[in-house]
Amino acid sequence: MTQSLTLENINAHYGTTQVLEDLSLHIAEGELVSLLGSSGCGKTTTLRLVAGFLEPTSGSIKLGDRDLTRLPAHARDIGLVFQTYALFPHLTVRDNVGFGLKQRNISGAERKKRVDTMIERVGLGELADRHPANLSGGQRQRVALARALVIDPPLLMFDEPLSNLDAKLRVDMRVEIRRLQQANGTTALYVTHDQEEAFSISDRVAIMKGGKIMQLDTPEVLYSRPANAFVADFVGFDNMIEMEAIAEAGDAVRAQMAGGVQIDLPKSQFTIPSKKFLFATRPEGLLVEPETSGFGIPAELGMRTYIGRAYQYHCETAAGVVMANGPQATPFESGSAAMLVPQPEQCCLLPTES
Amino acid sequence: MKTRIHPVLIVLTVLTFLFLLGPLVVIIGSALSDTTYLTFPPQGLTLHWFTNIFEISAFTRTMGTSFMLAVAGTTLSMLIGIPAAYAMARYRIELPAFLGNVFVLPILIPEIVLGFSLMKSLASGFGLPISLALLVGHALIVLPYTVRVVGASLNSFDFSIEEAAVSLGCPRIKAFFTVVLPNIRAGIIAGFILAFITSLNDVSISIFLTGPGVSTLPIQLLAHMEQFFDPTIASVSVLLMGVTVAVMAVVERTLGLTFLTK
Amino acid sequence: MSNRLRAWLLATPAILLVFIFLGLPVLATFATTFGDPKGPFSTYAAFFNSRFRMTVLWRTMEVALVTTIISVAIGFCTAWVVARMPGRIKSLLIIAAVFPLLTGVVVRSFAWLVILGKNGILNNFLIKIGAIAEPLSMLYTQGSVIVAMVYLFVPLMILTLVGVLEGIPQDMTDAAASLGATPAATFRQVVLPMAVPGLIVGAVLVFTGSFTSYATPQLLGGERQMMMGTFLYQRAMVTFDWVGASTIAAVMVVVTLTTVLIMSKVARKLNPMAG
Ligand SMILES: Nc1ncnc2c1ncn2[C@@H]1O[C@H](COP(=O)(O)OP(=O)(O)OP(=O)(O)O)[C@@H](O)[C@H]1O
Ligand SMILES: [Mg+2]
Repeated sequence: MTQSLTLENINAHYGTTQVLEDLSLHIAEGELVSLLGSSGCGKTTTLRLVAGFLEPTSGSIKLGDRDLTRLPAHARDIGLVFQTYALFPHLTVRDNVGFGLKQRNISGAERKKRVDTMIERVGLGELADRHPANLSGGQRQRVALARALVIDPPLLMFDEPLSNLDAKLRVDMRVEIRRLQQANGTTALYVTHDQEEAFSISDRVAIMKGGKIMQLDTPEVLYSRPANAFVADFVGFDNMIEMEAIAEAGDAVRAQMAGGVQIDLPKSQFTIPSKKFLFATRPEGLLVEPETSGFGIPAELGMRTYIGRAYQYHCETAAGVVMANGPQATPFESGSAAMLVPQPEQCCLLPTES
Repeated sequence: MKTRIHPVLIVLTVLTFLFLLGPLVVIIGSALSDTTYLTFPPQGLTLHWFTNIFEISAFTRTMGTSFMLAVAGTTLSMLIGIPAAYAMARYRIELPAFLGNVFVLPILIPEIVLGFSLMKSLASGFGLPISLALLVGHALIVLPYTVRVVGASLNSFDFSIEEAAVSLGCPRIKAFFTVVLPNIRAGIIAGFILAFITSLNDVSISIFLTGPGVSTLPIQLLAHMEQFFDPTIASVSVLLMGVTVAVMAVVERTLGLTFLTK
Repeated sequence: MSNRLRAWLLATPAILLVFIFLGLPVLATFATTFGDPKGPFSTYAAFFNSRFRMTVLWRTMEVALVTTIISVAIGFCTAWVVARMPGRIKSLLIIAAVFPLLTGVVVRSFAWLVILGKNGILNNFLIKIGAIAEPLSMLYTQGSVIVAMVYLFVPLMILTLVGVLEGIPQDMTDAAASLGATPAATFRQVVLPMAVPGLIVGAVLVFTGSFTSYATPQLLGGERQMMMGTFLYQRAMVTFDWVGASTIAAVMVVVTLTTVLIMSKVARKLNPMAG
């Protein structure tokens, strides 16, 4: 009974401060989409809107073809896993899991069967009669998950469900969540500020900033082809060099950066987004080569650090300090002059921020 | 985000607060009334009844007694209660857990029973001067406040700071006064003030331990009410409400009034 | 000096204060009640066989119980609203509840004397609007005592319950709603069970407080509505029947301690956090 979720042009306010701005989002049936972003960007707010704890100032929320926008929270039929778990302390594990079924007036026998099956599925069979106070963090997490899943909701939502667990458990649980979500084929909206977690668990990830979605794409695309400077910075494009296209040079575009340094970017490998643009790379997207190679950005090498597969250099260029990697076989001395050669498949040309 | 509250509940809340504050407004109003009997709303305004307080020596005398008793009783209970609270917070494992209950006994035993027993044993049995018995009784009933409020402060105090001071060569006694005390100042002030007001308002203990020559303001008020029903009582009440306001201001400054909902 | 010795030395003055000036005198009072030449329990037999004394005991119980029920009801509804108010209004309301709480018992009871008296505000008002022709005698009735007692204890109840309700995280009620619980079901199945232990603690405070009160029944009940506190005083200081007074005192202590012990056990049993 899974359904798609559609948010259209949502605006939301706390008092007079705007928290979400014209936010639209579509999650297909059975898809898991993560909201990723730094603290205060509106992830929880988005979730609370969909759950019905908050009303949007404008815009609409649809689950399948059901309009949720003005529906009270208890009538929305959405499974929700809280960061704090929010287990009812006065109820046993069994009664916590059965709470939603009880609200749906599901009879005792049927309820017991479904609750027991679900408790088994999350591996808590032994603990069914305990109170939450007597469970470990990971066990509480499982109860919260079981409680949300047992009502067989068309949509599951998670608000940083793993942030209170230790590192190892975090990895185990996210695999578990993904497994259960895929087994049920439930549509899911997942909030986290952990990039690795979002990328590993999601079909698609929405990167948010200041109440807006900056880019919504598969983890692969986000990782290699960020659409703007914010996302690029977020996924680790540490080098951002401002450039300006100044001329055509055969089958390349000649670009100039601060300090008058020029570089020819082959049209076959680079698409210039606008006259002024940002040249973004990770350190591995700039290869340190001897000064003698013709193509690249001239630089003076600063501090060298060993990072395992390669050496990494702080490089002084006319356009500022950038990070670049050099081959393991031939370390360069600090202070020597070198060329930084862009690796097209690891570089992005982005429009400058307006 | 608005959680909707049923309008009936809102109306009820408004009524509750009218119920809570209305009678106090009535007292203030009738204290200002230019009549020889108590009435509200006041008919004509006068401060005569306030000046009248100071012409009745029984009021001025008991005011002094009550104030001194509250200060002395609270101080005594602080001097005894702070070391106990400190011992319980600092050396928790060394002391039996029921000790905490011993210090709240004065709350558990009905005050009126305590007052009667003190009168019977101390004043009558051992011939202790009545004023001394009164002092002891007040120190006793405020002891739970001093121990608990100061204790709450101490429980959130990080004793490794004290140990650091000692390890740096500061004698223990000095460390207590220079490191611990300044850090639990808020708790001590709040405890003192709550104890003070409890003592100041006490009836059940004092009613047994007052007699010729020694009386407290609340007891004097009770006695006065039985004979006269003029606005003087209202004006004394207003003065006492003034003390309450001062006390609230101090608590708000030190711990915040929300402390009282904990 | 060992830590244990130091701890005991610091606690000793307080222990002695409680032991010598509370423990011994109260025990002495108890002892008095068993010293009757007609047999150790004869004073209690006399107490429980006297119609008048039993009337006083039952009246006190009844007043305390009714006061508790009304205070809990008013306190809960009010605390529910107060806890849900935005910050500034909430602090104002809390101040409005603390103010009467810190104002003395005599002052607060006196206010009701002014309101409920023969020539009091309420009578004057009712006559003015023509609801009654003759002033009602409202003072020295059980009703007047209960009203003043409720007035005494509602602030305490509000403050206790605001603390209790604020201790229930919003995530709990949100979680209930997300699982399909209507606001009424959330209240019944989540909020109430979580608030009950705190509610019991508050109710015990009100019950024991009103059961043992003196000033309010003295002023608003007088001789006609004698309660345990006023009865004790009357026996001790008017008729100088110290054995009788001691018996009343012992009954009060037993009722109070029994209530506290039973109810705190119930509260602990119902406390969800204890598991
Ligand atoms: N109850 C509230 N009243 C006023 N402002 C609020 C409230 N809750 C959140 N905000 C504001 O709304 C913005 C978005 O908050 P939100 O909780 O959605 O952030 P988030 O992305 O979930 O952050 P985090 O990662 O810290 O959980 C923040 O700037 C926050 O300060
Ligand atoms: Mg959040």
